Amino acid sequence: MDPHRSETDRRMTRALVLLAALALGAMAAPRLAGAQAAGPVLAQGVRAYDDLEFDNAAGLLRRALTFQGADALAPADAARALMYLAATELLRDRRDTARAVARRLVLSNPRFRPDELVFPPQVLSLFEEVRRATPAVIGRAPADTAIRPGAEALEVRLYASTFHDVAATLATEDGRVVRTLYTGPIADSLDLHWNGFDATGTTPPPTGRYVIAVNSLDRQRRVVRILRLPLEVTQGRVDTLPHPAPPADSLLLPERQSMGPGLRAFAPAALAGVAVVVLPSVVASGEDASGARFVVGGTVTIAGIVAFLSHHPGRPIPGNAAHNRTLRDAWRREDAEVARRNVERARGMLGIRTGAPVLLTPEAP
Amino acid sequence: MTRALVLICAALLCAPSLDAQSRWNVSFGLGGGSEIARSRVDTVRERVSGLVLSGEAVATRGRIVARLRYGQGRVTNDTAGRDVAEGEALLGYKARPWLTVWFGPHARTFVVPGQSDRRWLLWSGRLTARGTLFPERVESFVELWQGVTGSLNRPSASASGGGAEAGLVLRLARRPVWGRLAYRIEQGRVSGGGRRETVEAITLTVGFVPLR
Repeated sequence: MDPHRSETDRRMTRALVLLAALALGAMAAPRLAGAQAAGPVLAQGVRAYDDLEFDNAAGLLRRALTFQGADALAPADAARALMYLAATELLRDRRDTARAVARRLVLSNPRFRPDELVFPPQVLSLFEEVRRATPAVIGRAPADTAIRPGAEALEVRLYASTFHDVAATLATEDGRVVRTLYTGPIADSLDLHWNGFDATGTTPPPTGRYVIAVNSLDRQRRVVRILRLPLEVTQGRVDTLPHPAPPADSLLLPERQSMGPGLRAFAPAALAGVAVVVLPSVVASGEDASGARFVVGGTVTIAGIVAFLSHHPGRPIPGNAAHNRTLRDAWRREDAEVARRNVERARGMLGIRTGAPVLLTPEAP
Repeated sequence: MTRALVLICAALLCAPSLDAQSRWNVSFGLGGGSEIARSRVDTVRERVSGLVLSGEAVATRGRIVARLRYGQGRVTNDTAGRDVAEGEALLGYKARPWLTVWFGPHARTFVVPGQSDRRWLLWSGRLTARGTLFPERVESFVELWQGVTGSLNRPSASASGGGAEAGLVLRLARRPVWGRLAYRIEQGRVSGGGRRETVEAITLTVGFVPLR
């Protein structure tokens, strides 16, 4: 074996290993740098702003805002970056740019308010001016919920950038209004309720995709912003309760004195009276019985009539009527409650999933 | 006949009943009434009437009932008069609370001065039905009886007959006193149809219950 050849091969191998290591390092470096860049770049931008290096700060802050996906700034940091950028542009005497950045900030987060201890008055004043001139709302709703139409409601909390009028509707995806939810002013926030019914007020809309659209209006009643909150509505299964049976006759008491007891009291007397009159001809046929027997027969019959009347046939029995009324009222209440619950059940549970809200601006900013 | 009566009495007395274990209830009564007696012998008719006073005792134990009645008085018309004594001794069984079955002898004797007594004796079976008009206070009753065998002593002959009684019984509240207004009619006939006597009576009886 040639010793020079071996030495050359060893050097060649080292060089290849070194090149491979450099190539791998070069491939890995951008990912590492990108993953850690947004936060540090924002921090560098803020430091540059604090050091009054506004040009450098503007570059760094814009660069921090360009990161996308997993590397992007968190919403709170993004708002912070925009606020520093707006301040930077204002302090660089780029007022229009500062206003545009502030407007972007208001639209992305209508609830944002700058820290008065951090930013100078002219920056705060600019932001306030832009905020007031940029009516917009953002909405928050439970991501996945279920309501019983009529008894419960979906609650959407709206936050406004400034006091303005809004018109909120539930609409199909193609824009057909299903139900108007609210029309009127909004100050800081507003709770929007949808009880699960369509415009009829009694029927839930069919299963499908819908959207809660909140139009922000300017003073000329023009739509300047539209918040669209997608909804996916699913109707639940119908399962009704059986109606309660009316009170059984065995539980009800007679509300009027029946004829029965009176007749049962009268019958023996009548029988005895008739016997007094009739039996002589049966027992002693051929004899003329004394008319005095009618005294006894009449007395017995009169006693029977008195007994019959003493039972007050047909007379109302208030206690029994009250007892029956209590039973019937309880049954009616229970029946009405079942009917009410069945109406609710017939409406079924309404499953609602909300998507990510989208803020649209119909006119050019 | 005597054997049959003994058997019936024994059956009634020995009838097994829980009520039979209860104690005796005794009731006494005194009464009076207007009685009309009509007798007909072939084509000869006679009508007499008068007042008859009577007494009675009823003993009850469970479903078994015993009743004794005795009455005595005088019945007259414009031309004749006679004393009358009548009585009965019955043993009964309460087949239902409202129905009692009786059996026993029933006798009536007419006493005419200067003549021997004329006595009717009839063994009778009876049914008494009671109905309540006012519970525990007023009830009506109807009693039917039929003589199963009997005799007349003068002239000596076998006799048959039947009768009925109906009326009203009142009981006073919280007092062991009762009253009865009743109409009664009976007829005895001699076999062969030669003689027939019919007795009607309207009676008013007041009684009390010393044992209860």
